[in-house]
Amino acid sequence: MLRLKNINKRLGSFALKEINLEIPEGEYFVLLGRSGSGKTQLLELIAGLSSPDSGEIWVNGRNVTRDKIQERKTGLLFQDYAVFPNMTVFGNIAYPLHSKKLSRDLIVRQVNAIAGEMNIKGILDRYPHNLSGGELQRVALARTLVNSPSLLLLDEPMASVDASLKDDIRRNLRQLNRKGLTIIHVTHDYREAISLAGRVGVIHNGHIIQTGTPQAVFSKPANKFVARYAGIRNFFRVRFRLTSEGWKAFCDGTIVFSLSGNHYPDEGLLILKSDDISLSESRPQNCTENCFSGTVTEIMPCEFGMELTVDAGEIFYADLPANEFRQLNVEEGSEVWISFPGEAPVALPGSG
Amino acid sequence: MIKNNFFSWIFLILSSLLLLFILAPLTGMILRTGGSELFETVKDKEVQQSIWLTLWVSFAATFFFAFLAIPLAWILARKSFPLKSIVQGIIDLPVVLPHTAAGIAVLGFISRDGFLGKAADIVGLSLINNPAGIAFAMAFVSVPFLINSARDGFASVPERLEKAALTLGAGRPRVFFTISLPLAWRSIMTGFVMMFARGMSEFGAVVIVAYHPMIAPVLIYERFSSFGLKYARPASVLFILVALALFIFLRLLSLNKKETVASEDAQT
Repeated sequence: MLRLKNINKRLGSFALKEINLEIPEGEYFVLLGRSGSGKTQLLELIAGLSSPDSGEIWVNGRNVTRDKIQERKTGLLFQDYAVFPNMTVFGNIAYPLHSKKLSRDLIVRQVNAIAGEMNIKGILDRYPHNLSGGELQRVALARTLVNSPSLLLLDEPMASVDASLKDDIRRNLRQLNRKGLTIIHVTHDYREAISLAGRVGVIHNGHIIQTGTPQAVFSKPANKFVARYAGIRNFFRVRFRLTSEGWKAFCDGTIVFSLSGNHYPDEGLLILKSDDISLSESRPQNCTENCFSGTVTEIMPCEFGMELTVDAGEIFYADLPANEFRQLNVEEGSEVWISFPGEAPVALPGSG
Repeated sequence: MIKNNFFSWIFLILSSLLLLFILAPLTGMILRTGGSELFETVKDKEVQQSIWLTLWVSFAATFFFAFLAIPLAWILARKSFPLKSIVQGIIDLPVVLPHTAAGIAVLGFISRDGFLGKAADIVGLSLINNPAGIAFAMAFVSVPFLINSARDGFASVPERLEKAALTLGAGRPRVFFTISLPLAWRSIMTGFVMMFARGMSEFGAVVIVAYHPMIAPVLIYERFSSFGLKYARPASVLFILVALALFIFLRLLSLNKKETVASEDAQT
């Protein structure tokens, strides 16, 4: 479907470097990256709004690198929707159809059909300044889809809408993908990626660091940047040693992690997901390894409950669901025990 | 709060003084002009012809130069190129030149020895003492107003709207005529009116290029220098009233035009 081969593009002091990506037909691919990472520039290259300095872009087996924008059959939905303010909703949706020089009747029929699908038939004669964020988003999507793109490019489609509309948008996008539309969606929010993506890619400083299923990328991040992106906050610089009791990771001599894996480098970074950590007021029974006592230094509400910061010689961040937190009955300054299974700590490859 | 009020009062007084400075001479001139004098001037064929000449030549100069100024404004707003700031400086040059010097420069260009004069001579046209020459002189000193205003208008159109139109299958000309131009229309019309007004009021450059046929500012000057203030005043008042009426009309027209463009695009 889409194939990017060794794409390079310099934009002032920033550059997209050696971008290689293959996206099969019907896939929902989410490209994750911070602002300034190059994800929007990559979308614009695919759409044809700019040309790469080197490399090739293939769509449906055809090299479109030097093709005009109008010939690429890609639809691009901009972050703030870019709905034309000088036209009504009808005028906006009809805009791409005028370029095809269709008859007036056909244009009216096609606009009405897509407006019905997107549930915006009642606002066809309104101007954009009278529309809500959700309506603008649907108008922009209808305007893009009426052009029957074979590839839909979405630039942060949920960045400008409030939380209550995000579910609707997610539902719409999933439906479109289920109907067979290939979607490339760029975002800075890894939760968006988890909820929508068949596959994700992480882009940083103009370079795609890792691609794979969301589960693969977030459970085995390629480096610290990807791990941070996945919301992981527990990082420990350690020395790995094989002892008579198996593999251990020594962290500045204060904390010793017991590991369940087989091969480790001499030293490197160890990561631990916040929700893999359990907390208890007393030492857990039969716990001989990976349990440490510490002091709660901070308690903060988080999306799924509470995040506790525990100083156990090293700083640990643990996420607890609200009901578990209530049962635990701790406050800042309380002594607690943290524990986690041997398979929870993961060594970051290439961090040695 | 008291300080704020004091501050506001000072600014209000200073602003009023400036407004008074603009309005007082105009009001004085209108009040000192008797109804009968004004009526006589309205009937004066020479005055009528000079006002009409001023209006149509300035309008024609603005209209025809708009076809060159608008594309240049778009390029300045959208493209980066070497020496762009120098090009911008060149555009603003006529505004800072003494207008008589501008007239001399234009005269050199349109006289029989000049590039344009020679070209016009081939088709048997003399640009000196001709409405076409007057139009060149007017345009020379006033076109920066249109270019700069239109450039600001194009620059204020979000580029992503043009990009969106391109991804929706529109060619560059269609994007220009359906997105860039309508959205920059208000600024372009403001520039149009400014250029027209500046051209209409031009004296220094025009008087060097063409004393005859007489445009209104030259006629007013001639009456003042030949007959005195009393004879120049009614023609001045009449010219000001006509100009005011025209600007109000053009302003209304530009607003209506903006709405029309919007509604045309809205229809299929």
